Amino acid sequence: MKNGKLEEALSVLSMAALVVITLLNVVTRYLTDQSFGWTEEISVFLMVVMALSGASAIALRDKHIRIEFFLNRKAADGTEVPRRRLKLLGSLTTSAVFMLLAALFVRWVWDQYKFSETSMGLGVPLWWYGAVLPVLCAAISVRAFMAFLRTLRGQTDHVRNQE
Amino acid sequence: MIAAFLLLSFIALMLLGLPIAVSLALSAIVSIVIANWDAQWFGLLAVPQNFYSAVAKYPLLALPMFVLVGSIFDRSGVAQRMVTFAIACVGRGPGMLPTVAILVAMVLGGISGSGPANAAAVGGVMIAAMSRAGYPAPFSATVVGAAAATDILIPPSIAFVIYSVLMPGASVPALFAAGMVPGILAGLALIVPAIWLSRRNNLGQAERELPRPPFWASLRAASWGLAAPFLILGGMRLGWFTPTEAAVAAVVYGLFVGLVVHRSISWRDLYSIFREAAEISAVITIILASAGIFSYAINTLGVADPLASWVKAAGLGSLGTLALVLLALLIISMFIDGVSIFLIFVPLLYPIAMAFQWDLVWLGVLLTLVVAKAQFTPPMAVNLMVSCRMAGVSIESTVPWVLWFIVSFLTVITAVFFFPELALWLPRYLGY
Repeated sequence: MKNGKLEEALSVLSMAALVVITLLNVVTRYLTDQSFGWTEEISVFLMVVMALSGASAIALRDKHIRIEFFLNRKAADGTEVPRRRLKLLGSLTTSAVFMLLAALFVRWVWDQYKFSETSMGLGVPLWWYGAVLPVLCAAISVRAFMAFLRTLRGQTDHVRNQE
Repeated sequence: MIAAFLLLSFIALMLLGLPIAVSLALSAIVSIVIANWDAQWFGLLAVPQNFYSAVAKYPLLALPMFVLVGSIFDRSGVAQRMVTFAIACVGRGPGMLPTVAILVAMVLGGISGSGPANAAAVGGVMIAAMSRAGYPAPFSATVVGAAAATDILIPPSIAFVIYSVLMPGASVPALFAAGMVPGILAGLALIVPAIWLSRRNNLGQAERELPRPPFWASLRAASWGLAAPFLILGGMRLGWFTPTEAAVAAVVYGLFVGLVVHRSISWRDLYSIFREAAEISAVITIILASAGIFSYAINTLGVADPLASWVKAAGLGSLGTLALVLLALLIISMFIDGVSIFLIFVPLLYPIAMAFQWDLVWLGVLLTLVVAKAQFTPPMAVNLMVSCRMAGVSIESTVPWVLWFIVSFLTVITAVFFFPELALWLPRYLGY
């Protein structure tokens, strides 16, 4: 679990499920002349899961899109490397922001639970979907903090380079 | 006051190298807290709702699906066969291989929606082929990088999907149709300097001696790939698919071609293909989600109206303001990559576009043209980064060549600016 494999697999599975669901939707529409609208709600949910779990795997590698113009400096060998303090600031801030988001999502989902809100398509309790959001935001926060610790210990070069 | 704080803190955080998603979210959250100091939870209770609903939109599903299409067709082996067929069509001679690279990039643009994916697919074939024919590597890298920029104009296009999500009132089908003519014009505009530079500098002299592939055999080999744009664009046009479904159809088709027909993808590659697509989609989607918080802050803190009225008060008029915006973005986009340009500036441009009543589809095409040009304009040129890495040359080495392509591309932007019909007649003709 140290390398973010869990989130990575979750992200890939969501992507695959999205393909299958959308495909089934097209096929069913042509065979039965009606589409099942309720799949939209599941697809949208899976897309959010894919994005947040993917973001978590990427947070660990500290590879989120950023502007590197001032972040990087030229190293002795001519390659561009990030300035250490800015890199630390970036991963620590990422961790803090997503922890706050996780807390706010807990509050939001609690409201959904308290007021027994149900979804438009399937009519299931909204918190069934919502419950996963604070968990994934917290995961991003934890992964970003791990990236922070790695930079702090000077391990940046050892961070697994994907393939 | 709070408006200025919101914008300036965002810019400052971004320049410090924080992830763009975090810069957007943090500047918005802090501004909301300052403005709602007395409120319950400092007014932050609406934040998760806006974060979530910015991306929990069904049309956005087209984004990960088209990213996946790009990752699959990148490895499906269709590029190689299209190149062979294109050579059979245009023949051999100085300037012909660069032309082939541009034509193939345009056809692939009708399948994939991302510039860098296109550059990888075309570059994987063309850079070695052009080097064998005697073209210098920096020139080859330039041609491939510039050619791939037509991808985000020729439908399908990830840029248009993102724009459509950020800009209410510009539908994906209308944008796709609007990008077609400017995309083809851009491709033609790139062929001109490609041939002219080859002839003037006697590049690719060895190409004359290379054999010309047989027409019918190479057509048959390329037919699987050539059919894909018809499936995707025709399927949407005929109402078989929504854009998202067209992407999924292309995923299935591309997997079939790669796994079964050309056997260039093995079952084991599937995981890494899906992972690549999931991660590219995730980094974009997470910024879109954070941009949702930022837009909420812009709307509730009353930033939009002052910004719009301030721009309007500058007295440049509608076209003058638009020209200024485009000029500014042409410069900024040299330093920020294309997707980020959209994510940062479209929410800010929305109130201005409303104030001047710009046609939102036309604006989308113009912005995409600017971003496309930026994809091969050093230093921050995402397509060139891909093609230069493949060619083993530095981005700086492309400068003497790439400037000509940039000038040529700028004429297309100017043309679409002065003749909006170039973009708008096709969507109107098709009834979007």
